[in-house]
Amino acid sequence: MTYVVLENCIKCKYMDCVEVCPVDCFYAGENMLVIHPDECIDCGVCEPECPADAIVADSDSRSSDAWLKLNADYARVWPNITHKGAPPADAAQWDGAPGKLAAFSSAPHSEDEAPGAPGSEPRTVPWRPR
Amino acid sequence: MPAAPSYPSAASREGPGVAVGVTESLIRNQVHTFYGKVRSDPALGPIFRDAVSDWDHHLQKMCDFWSSVLLMTGRFKGAPMAVHAALTTIRPTHFARWLRLFEQSAREVCPPDAADLFIARSRIIAEALQLHLASVRKESAWILAAILGDAAPEDDS
Repeated sequence: MTYVVLENCIKCKYMDCVEVCPVDCFYAGENMLVIHPDECIDCGVCEPECPADAIVADSDSRSSDAWLKLNADYARVWPNITHKGAPPADAAQWDGAPGKLAAFSSAPHSEDEAPGAPGSEPRTVPWRPR
Repeated sequence: MPAAPSYPSAASREGPGVAVGVTESLIRNQVHTFYGKVRSDPALGPIFRDAVSDWDHHLQKMCDFWSSVLLMTGRFKGAPMAVHAALTTIRPTHFARWLRLFEQSAREVCPPDAADLFIARSRIIAEALQLHLASVRKESAWILAAILGDAAPEDDS
């Protein structure tokens, strides 16, 4: 059992979840966060905290094995994030936008890179949910 | 300074405990009552005696934990999965006993709705911990306990 971050986090990346998570189980990519399934204790605190409603329990019908796998895979390679940074300036425009998976970046979060800054176009990977 | 982008702030949301009357003082009462039972329990007492060296510190940490879970204060920061995985003496039966004592304490000190919330969250979190232990230990007793949950036998005998 774990909670899972879904597509609507992509390019919104509000990061409110990391402030309330008691076990620091969020890991950050360039334009999305994921939850480490071996660290999440299922407390459920993050779910209502997400302004983009992008976090669900793995038992929720909106979750899938593919999203669980994406969370597990990138939690192993992206850096741990424990404090909320500045969300992308255009986060609100992307909230709820369809087809955001195409904008998914496999690059890790970087403190130096201002989100949405010129020259920081996301690098996409051929990963697709089944 | 540019204006902050407008999105709902964390402070606008409140933890699930607020609606059912959970307060910091109720959490403190629950935590202290529960660990009073734990320390005098024949099965759990020795485990905690070995694992906890500073009880004041542990009790405060557990108050912070439940404050984070039920009031969303973000005060607790820890890695309970790793901490429990390192405790090689704990068995699935200890989880069942822990949950029983936690429920007893909640019924004693909390209003019914708050007790229900404490109990529900404790079971979910215990299940997550047990599933994790089952996956790292790969022992049949852990896997059975993770599958059976509350139906797992409490005693080794």
